[in-house]
Amino acid sequence: METTEYDVLIVGSGASGGMAAYTLTKRGLKCLLLDAGPSVDFAKTRVLKPVYELPYRGFGKPGRLPHVLQANEFNANQWVDETQVPYTHDPKTPYNWVRVRMIGGKSLFWARMSFRLSDYEFKAKDHDGFGENWPINHADLAPFYDRVEPIFRVSGRKEGLPQLPDGNFIPDESPDSEATKRFAAAAKKKDIPVTKIRRALGKGPFASSYNLLLPDALATGNLTIVPNAIAREISVDKNTGRVTGVHFVERGSRREMHAKAKAVVVGASCLESTRLLLNSKIANSSGVLGHYLCDQFYMSNSVVAIIPEARDGKGTRGMVGGGGYIPRFRNLKKGEKNNFLRGYALDFSTGGSPDAKYFGSWGEQLQKDLDSTRGAAFGCTSMGEALPRFENKVTIDKKVVDAWGIPVLNIDCRYTDNEFNMAKDAVDTMAEVCHDAGFEVINKNPKFFNPGYSIHEVGTCRMGDDPKKSVLNKWNQSHDIKNLFVVDGSSFVTAGSQNPTMTILSLSMRASEYLSDEAKKGNL
Amino acid sequence: MKRRKFVQSLVAVTPAVVVAQQVAPPSTQPPATPQQPVEPPIGAAGRGGRGAGAGMEDTTKLEITSADAVGQMTPHFFNADQYLALEKLSQILLPPLKGAPGALDAQAPQFLDFLLGESPADRQQLYRQGLDALNAQARKKFQQAFAKLSDDQAAQLLEPLRQPWTYDPPADPLTKFLRAAKQDVRTATVNSREFSVAGNAAGGGGRRFGGTGLYWNSLDS
Repeated sequence: METTEYDVLIVGSGASGGMAAYTLTKRGLKCLLLDAGPSVDFAKTRVLKPVYELPYRGFGKPGRLPHVLQANEFNANQWVDETQVPYTHDPKTPYNWVRVRMIGGKSLFWARMSFRLSDYEFKAKDHDGFGENWPINHADLAPFYDRVEPIFRVSGRKEGLPQLPDGNFIPDESPDSEATKRFAAAAKKKDIPVTKIRRALGKGPFASSYNLLLPDALATGNLTIVPNAIAREISVDKNTGRVTGVHFVERGSRREMHAKAKAVVVGASCLESTRLLLNSKIANSSGVLGHYLCDQFYMSNSVVAIIPEARDGKGTRGMVGGGGYIPRFRNLKKGEKNNFLRGYALDFSTGGSPDAKYFGSWGEQLQKDLDSTRGAAFGCTSMGEALPRFENKVTIDKKVVDAWGIPVLNIDCRYTDNEFNMAKDAVDTMAEVCHDAGFEVINKNPKFFNPGYSIHEVGTCRMGDDPKKSVLNKWNQSHDIKNLFVVDGSSFVTAGSQNPTMTILSLSMRASEYLSDEAKKGNL
Repeated sequence: MKRRKFVQSLVAVTPAVVVAQQVAPPSTQPPATPQQPVEPPIGAAGRGGRGAGAGMEDTTKLEITSADAVGQMTPHFFNADQYLALEKLSQILLPPLKGAPGALDAQAPQFLDFLLGESPADRQQLYRQGLDALNAQARKKFQQAFAKLSDDQAAQLLEPLRQPWTYDPPADPLTKFLRAAKQDVRTATVNSREFSVAGNAAGGGGRRFGGTGLYWNSLDS
């Protein structure tokens, strides 16, 4: 059988790989898209079941997905099986690596929070001296955010906040409940802004590359999608130093295959992309490949409070309900003194019901407590920027291979006092705002989940102007290999406190347009 | 134990799938769903010819019954003293309330015996030590096993539950166990068939109680 040499081979079909396919095929490039997982027939794969019919009554098979706190017995099969594709870490410093392998990737399941980074992130070093600046700023990326947001149909309310640039939104004009207004007013007195959640509405059940990007890319006639193709190694021409394609394993048959292309775009998810480059032993003249792993620490229910007027079933639709988003408000002013660098964001909701664990009661009294607070709770999740540190890294663990014989990652990542202090500030500050708003705080939790839990892992293949300090240039292009691009979250220089997907999509679109321009000029 | 596993496997795997697994050649053919059993792939007819189509048309779905409707779970993980203490604890943590089944009606202790039997060693130890500690405290304070205490006496031993919840589990093993048991007994109860049936009868639609969800079949099948 004749093998085609494609213009571009893309590894990964999630947000970043999907956007690369969307952008490159529209510009006439012939693309081959490989994904490690299947193309799921959702109608057939997902069946409605009552929880009592599951063998473990919803508890899930004990020990099956120890690192995926998001997993439950219904969705256990949706995540990557940790025994099939293991990774290693020091038992004392656990890392929760949460993975999905199917066409569409994690963009099928994300929480759809859609924020831009600001120059407080892009030029973070200029503000506090820590780490490195990005090689781009908000103005460079804004034209791409502007085009990505309408594709994903991002709703939001414009605020003119410098730390959270407004986007090309579908205006969110939904009224706030009285409880939300009171909370926002109490926050405002402390100079803490509150806005609407900014969320990708998508289309139908998904806001995914699966339904928003890949269908358009296929319609160009320029895209070939191959599921169940697990990238093992990127091949390199020893004479030119350019990449020539990808060695992959077919998931079911385990056949070893190779596909050829004039350029390779890697968008396999942050840590899988870096794993592929490390296993290929390329693009690391800087020595920083695998380093500067960061994310946001997450604490769900940092503060749980009761909205008194909604007790005992008295909450009405206008009184409680809905929520909002608090963008970073710390360390924005020159000379501001805190016992941590950078900052955190929060999202909150009103009108929920607190979990039984928050009450020191059981039996009949617990039932009374639950009945009395049903629909009357306030809860918030804090999301704090973990600093990018050289020591937080991934390496290849030479002793362990996955089910396809591919060496796995060792992840060495820990939080430090900067994150702990930030978390404590988040909890104390939110508890004060709740108190000022007349809410009754019933629990404060300053402890966060393990690194990785937020599924916002970024870094390890960062961009920069200096080839000695970064893997990629400002176009997501390898400093070492001109026809190799990495377009996912691994390219981030800092994590920020914002959810990363809009930035990943925008970077991938920008990099792909640059790639196609350079290809036309014969520069790759 | 063996018997229960056997019964469970009958529930989980419908006869149609058993047939499909016996006849499907490895990996090359997409496996059948329970509704679509395939004919054995004999000759050309088996490869998408008329034979396979005819098999699908002819199939009727048999009415089947779940294991829970015909049998009781038999405890095997905890020893007799531990199990009696777990029953008593379950009954106190979640008695029948507002017409809903309590933990004992929902067979929460039997279920937890099964769940803990499948659980990692540290979880097993937490439960075994916790139940032993409850019995030891009951004997020390009231001179009898935890299961024999009055509800008021038993409640005195549950006082550690009044400590405010923290993300990190409490250092004291008994407090840690009680906190885990409070949550587990509740989940095992509200996610039970009994709870759902009662909820439906009361007009709750079943959704308030554990409810239904979209179950993901294996992506490898």
